[in-house]
Amino acid sequence: MQIGYTISGVAHVGLIGWVLFGGAFQPTSEPFEVTEVVAISEAEFDSLFNTTPPEVPSTDVVAPEVPDVPQDPPEDPAPVRPPPRPEPPQPVEPDPPAPPSPADDVTVIAPEPEAPETEGPVTLEPLRPEAADRVAPTPVEQPDPEDQVADVAQEVETSDQAGEEQLPDQERTVEEAAATEIVTEAEEAEEQGLSRSLRPRLRPNRPEPPQEVAQQPAQEHTQSAVDDVLAGLASEQADTPSEPARPSGPPLSAGEKDALRVSVEKCWNTGSLSSAALRTTVVVSVALSEDGKPNAGSIRMLSSSGGTGGSVNQAFQAARRAIIRCGARGFPLPVEKFEQWREIEMTFNPEKMRIK
Amino acid sequence: MIRRFLTCLAATMMLGLPAITEAAPLRIEITNGVIEALPFAAPDFVAESSNASQLAKDIAQVVADDLSGTGLFEEIPDSAFISTITSFSSPVQFADWKAINAEALISGAVSVQPGGGLTVKFRLYDVFAGTELGSGLQFTGTQDGWRRMAHKVSDAVYSRITGESAYFDSRVVYVSETGPKNDRKKRLAIMDYDGANLQFLTDSRAIVLAPRFSPTGDRILYTSYETGFPRIYVLDVASVRRRVLEQQNGTMSFAPRFSPDGQTVLYSLTQGGNTDLYKMDINSGRTQRLTSAPSIETAPSFSPDGRRIVFESDRSGTQQLYIMDANGGEPRRISFGQGQYGSPVWSPRGDLIAFTKQNKGRFHISVMRIDGSEERVLTSSFLDEGPTWSPNGRVIMFTRETQGANGKASLFSVDITGRNLRRVRTQGGGSDPSWSPLQE
Repeated sequence: MQIGYTISGVAHVGLIGWVLFGGAFQPTSEPFEVTEVVAISEAEFDSLFNTTPPEVPSTDVVAPEVPDVPQDPPEDPAPVRPPPRPEPPQPVEPDPPAPPSPADDVTVIAPEPEAPETEGPVTLEPLRPEAADRVAPTPVEQPDPEDQVADVAQEVETSDQAGEEQLPDQERTVEEAAATEIVTEAEEAEEQGLSRSLRPRLRPNRPEPPQEVAQQPAQEHTQSAVDDVLAGLASEQADTPSEPARPSGPPLSAGEKDALRVSVEKCWNTGSLSSAALRTTVVVSVALSEDGKPNAGSIRMLSSSGGTGGSVNQAFQAARRAIIRCGARGFPLPVEKFEQWREIEMTFNPEKMRIK
Repeated sequence: MIRRFLTCLAATMMLGLPAITEAAPLRIEITNGVIEALPFAAPDFVAESSNASQLAKDIAQVVADDLSGTGLFEEIPDSAFISTITSFSSPVQFADWKAINAEALISGAVSVQPGGGLTVKFRLYDVFAGTELGSGLQFTGTQDGWRRMAHKVSDAVYSRITGESAYFDSRVVYVSETGPKNDRKKRLAIMDYDGANLQFLTDSRAIVLAPRFSPTGDRILYTSYETGFPRIYVLDVASVRRRVLEQQNGTMSFAPRFSPDGQTVLYSLTQGGNTDLYKMDINSGRTQRLTSAPSIETAPSFSPDGRRIVFESDRSGTQQLYIMDANGGEPRRISFGQGQYGSPVWSPRGDLIAFTKQNKGRFHISVMRIDGSEERVLTSSFLDEGPTWSPNGRVIMFTRETQGANGKASLFSVDITGRNLRRVRTQGGGSDPSWSPLQE
């Protein structure tokens, strides 16, 4: 026991001595470069950094005479006249039938009270959007992708011209594709898009469990399968181009919902609705942007009750107008809870608004 | 085991996380709206021929007046317009109309054909939806029928926005009154629903009462004292020819009204001091007695389906409303409130009955359901009486007479909600209005 204490004491003393005197706490001297410097005076320092030029005596300098050369004003580029707009298609109007003659007068005391007759109404063609400038009068097919589009329009070569003169070989070009009217992508989508949604893919068959496998390998297999699922999910989430993170926040409070409700109610005008429409409840869906403004194109009716046909449409239109009108400046919604209200379902129930 | 559980729990959480993120949308219920007039813009119609400028302005103004007169729409004045419509075919700048809060926009065009015919066409736009509401319509007719064409435009606009039929292209027959109260001259007069195109059907030699349009608007029943006793006449509107419908010596017949098919006339007949209800086939002249009580039964009105009759009777001691089968039978009382009930008229929709109510020295135009429930008083004055329904059952026109020796009878209209009480423009005084159906 004492021998142990002795050995320990000697060892500690030795260690402390080595630490104190062995240079363990002495800073190591880093190698450094020595650079020669030159001391300069204050005047020399100022002359190095003072950017203002030294004052020099001023001298009047006579500007050289510019020869009086009449200069034409810069010629304006010739105004490029847009190609004439093709006239929008005129609605086809039937020739008005011969108007009925005005009613004949009858007796003095009781003149003919029959009002002049009018013909039955004729439905007009719906208005088409006005034709844009960059529309060719005649359509041109989409060229082959390998063909080069000509910079200038080429005259169509006739057989006579071809016989008169042989032109040197030149690269084949085609006319740029054109159409008689602009068809937007949205309109194309109607024609080229899917006519119906795709069927959901079939659920994959459940893998057959191995028949004769030892217990331990089975556990390892299950573990690895779970790991695979987790890894797959993680990689799938990483691969998916996720939208920038939007604030979600807690659900809207009752006060916040009331504020939204009141702001919509202020514009829900049922004054011009028929009594049938006032018996119709509609559920309307609307998507909002982060500034609280409704996307007018997203407003759609999810369901209705209590009405049919025209009354449902009237009720929906009144609801739609309410959302658009009062949402024009954005509904009072907390932006930090955007995910909670980015899509709203509003039920417009006119029970309290009925007049009879 | 625990490790497997934790692993499964983690997987479940990762799978469930997106589902939580894509939670159900926020749901709210809107129950308290506002009842306001819908703002609309009706700029001057485009004159598509040089001689149509004035007509283009006038037609647009009639359309605007029609719609504003309902109380359901509010015209935005021209001075507020940002855009102008110079071509009927040009696209509409919806942003400009949205900026002035116009929810509906009516654009139209008028042209006078070389032969003198008039063409009026219009389009209606839902400004906030940025779309056309329905298809454009075109009417043709004679130039002196321009007001009718304007009313037809108004009818189409009204129907498309409200979802119910309109009443602008209709007429009203009434008793025109001139002179002091003790020497009042009464003549039958017919006019557009808004008071335009006034024409007289009878002279003022005999007192006339209670004209009633036929369901097709081509005939008018009325009561005349031409013989000294009240007699029922039927008048053809086109030819202004008339004939007496009921004539029995020692009797008085009055308060006639057509059945919905126009083949039968209901009326009251007083004989021997007793007044009962009768029904007459208008072609054969065959009559049928519907009531036989010692009380006074009068002012009958068919239901729209022609199967029932509402009328007034004092069989209970006071004047009340009753409903019975169109072929007679036991009447069922439907009015039980305070005061006296009279001159009931069944709504064209069939759901309401309008009537005159006298209570505590004042007269009211009121409505109730056909079972007598939900009685609603619409007006109140010294004397309001004689309600008649608009073709769409939304508006009631009636007579209001002011108090005193110089009291004067005028025509008024009111919405069935009790709002939008308006005086109808007439030349001189007027009473006993009857609203025609919509013209073909």
